[in-house]
Amino acid sequence: MVAATHAQARPAIQTVGLTKYYGRHLGIEDVNLDVSEGEVFGFLGPNGAGKSTTIRTILDEIRPTAGSATILGLDTRAEAVEIRRHIGYIPGDLALYPNLTGMDTLQYFANMRGGVDWTYVDELADRLDSDLSRKVGDLSTGNRQKVGVIQAFMHHPDLLIMDEPTSGLDPLIQREFQKMVSEVAAEGRTVFLSSHTLSEVQRVADRVGIIRNGRLITVESVADLRSKSMREVEFVLDTEGEASVFESVEGVRNIVVAGNHVEMSFGGDMGELLTTVTERYGVADIKTTEADLEEIFLTYYHEDEGEEARS
Amino acid sequence: MTLANVFVKTASDRWLGWVIAVVSVALFLLMGMATYREIDLSVYTSLPEAFRSLIGIGDDIDVGGLAINVMFGTWGAIAMAGLALAMGSSAIAGEERDGTMDILLANPKSRTYVLLSKTGALVTSIALATVALWIPIYPIAASLGVEISGLEVEALTLHLFANSVFFGLLALAIGAMTGDKGKATGITTAIMVLSFFGVGFLPLVDGGDAVTKVLPWYYFDGSDPVTNGIAWGHLALLGGGSALLLLAAIVGFNRRDLKGQSVGTTMLDRIRGNPLLNRMIGRLAGSARVSSIWLKTISDYQTLVLIASAAMFLVMGVMMGPMYASIPEETLKTFNELPENLVALFGGGDMSTPEGWYSLETFGLMAPGAVILVTVVMGAGALAGEESRRTMALLLACPISRNRIVIEKLIPMVFYAVIVGFVTFAGVSIGSLIPDLGMSIGNIAATATLQTLVGLVFGSLALALSAGTGRTSIAIYGAIGAALFFHLFNSLGALNEGLDDLGWLTPFSYYLGNDPLNNGMNWGDAAVLAAVSVILIGLSFVLFQRRDIRQRG
Repeated sequence: MVAATHAQARPAIQTVGLTKYYGRHLGIEDVNLDVSEGEVFGFLGPNGAGKSTTIRTILDEIRPTAGSATILGLDTRAEAVEIRRHIGYIPGDLALYPNLTGMDTLQYFANMRGGVDWTYVDELADRLDSDLSRKVGDLSTGNRQKVGVIQAFMHHPDLLIMDEPTSGLDPLIQREFQKMVSEVAAEGRTVFLSSHTLSEVQRVADRVGIIRNGRLITVESVADLRSKSMREVEFVLDTEGEASVFESVEGVRNIVVAGNHVEMSFGGDMGELLTTVTERYGVADIKTTEADLEEIFLTYYHEDEGEEARS
Repeated sequence: MTLANVFVKTASDRWLGWVIAVVSVALFLLMGMATYREIDLSVYTSLPEAFRSLIGIGDDIDVGGLAINVMFGTWGAIAMAGLALAMGSSAIAGEERDGTMDILLANPKSRTYVLLSKTGALVTSIALATVALWIPIYPIAASLGVEISGLEVEALTLHLFANSVFFGLLALAIGAMTGDKGKATGITTAIMVLSFFGVGFLPLVDGGDAVTKVLPWYYFDGSDPVTNGIAWGHLALLGGGSALLLLAAIVGFNRRDLKGQSVGTTMLDRIRGNPLLNRMIGRLAGSARVSSIWLKTISDYQTLVLIASAAMFLVMGVMMGPMYASIPEETLKTFNELPENLVALFGGGDMSTPEGWYSLETFGLMAPGAVILVTVVMGAGALAGEESRRTMALLLACPISRNRIVIEKLIPMVFYAVIVGFVTFAGVSIGSLIPDLGMSIGNIAATATLQTLVGLVFGSLALALSAGTGRTSIAIYGAIGAALFFHLFNSLGALNEGLDDLGWLTPFSYYLGNDPLNNGMNWGDAAVLAAVSVILIGLSFVLFQRRDIRQRG
């Protein structure tokens, strides 16, 4: 809760013109991110878009070609060690020491950072159904990932940076993981989560940044993205419906009328649609299906591609 | 494109190592011929048989023969057999350890196909490297005006090829049968090293000659092929042995369960496996090994250090004293008559004294070799190893600086260099006391201290290369290459005045240069070695601080 009061004072992550070239090969270019404290920020992009490069740059694993970044108000180059006191991190493509057990691994990292709450570790292991007595090298990918997740959460970090954290986890465990993320956010702590699967981010994130070909395309709140997006709407009316009534509302498309059953795609103001419909008909049932962020994702990509094609 | 099949991929994975080995051996040959040309070789003809057997030279020796025997027949053979061993142990067991065997065998290819492809690649690589070794011999000799027409160079080359194939297949077979790369490398290395030294030593002792015939290395140069030509019987034995090993590999590999990405078992794990001991030790050591980076690193390398230390202590330390005492009086007398510069070539010292014996046998090559092996492997693995295993990301997510990681990786390297030096000291001291050779314990300590310091020079070099590039292979090849180069440079410097003037350049001249086993500690030498290490370590900090961490190996 203490952290939440800082929310406006300093961003959890801020990058200014962050650029990384590997020789002549572009990693990321001019990435400007602003992640507030206490929010869950989803960082989306397809494979090779520059998600990991961004994360590795702000964690001082690799050094920016241009631009700079701060984490919790600290410079990522000069104050890298201080920053690491406050973060939990799961690298993409996680690797651990195969000859250590899960518990050994956690102890190893706990000894380096201190402040680990072992009853919390037990709780996490229990929630994720993780057997910490087995050697990491003998674990399946998913079970290894669980050790990585516990390792990132175990010291109650102010900021969690996770690069595709749910890879290999089964749906049940993924749900538990999402709950853990929500709990962290509820405590006013910050989560930065990269992913190429939107459904994962959709459930937990407040805002989403979309990156492609090393460039940040957009940052929007999940709510905004949704409101902009199309959804499927289905009305069951008390009498036969007329297409013209529905077509008068902005954003209605693909209308199909079958007696008192009306289906359409809708991308406008839901209030206006409801008012229009209830003025004319009695409504027996409504069903709406949200468009998946997947579709939004593709929309942004196509727009971007269109712009590139035009320019 | 080049990875058309298992064969091509396997062969191309290792090309760099072979190229480095071939180029180095050619350079050594050039250096060797240039040096031997300058000295009077008539002394060799008067050498006793026993001594010649020890240093591996035949009867009618001349400049070309000596150079080819030492550079090609010894260094070249060790390098080739060593590379074949590395390639052989990686072939099957290595892919299993990396977890790539599963995906390889998911293709519609049988285990036998994979194994034969790998064997084909191994044998072809050895053949190509051997030919590449052979090609420059004549031009080098001609350019220096050294006569080698009377030598059976091709016979030696063929023997060298057969020997390398044998050790490569030995490692491959053990790996194929067990799926354990560590076992394949360890056992084959042990057999190779012991048989190499056995063929040198055993003829000195009564009845030893017969024993050498069970050692594989005997069939490589026991017949002195460079003088006597091809020994078909010996070649047939090496070839037959190789064929049997291949057969064993095929049968073994087809019969057993594949291993997944495997997990090394440390001594600590075995102790912990015992429920009685586990409770006791688990609390003490179990948590200790993960209590810090440096303690974990200590635990990671315990097996390597244990083997190196045991070899130094028992074989090179304790056993050498009694062995010296068992050498017949007249052989020792002839050692006394050897020209000084010749003896210097083999590590220096007066061979008729126990100090000279230990200088040559233990401290000349094996002692610095053991400590350099340990420090270079640790120095190279320190930073680049964590990077290639992709665990550096998590280390760097902890609130510790890059400098501290370097420090915590440095401590175990220094610690183990001291351990290897200490056990060498202990072994040699005990070895000299058993037959009471009257050696100065203080001087042994001084020599072992310098041994540790010279090891740290090359370990620090490996650390600096590891810090600067993040690549283990560069660090290992670079540091081992430098060590070999300087060692030869140092040995040859004793024979060649031009090189001798440059002797101060090689770290080895600060090691045995002032004969510490006879003269005690030379603090100046120790200071130089320590200073070089400190500079290289300082460089490591700077280089690591500036660099992007590699994400992949």
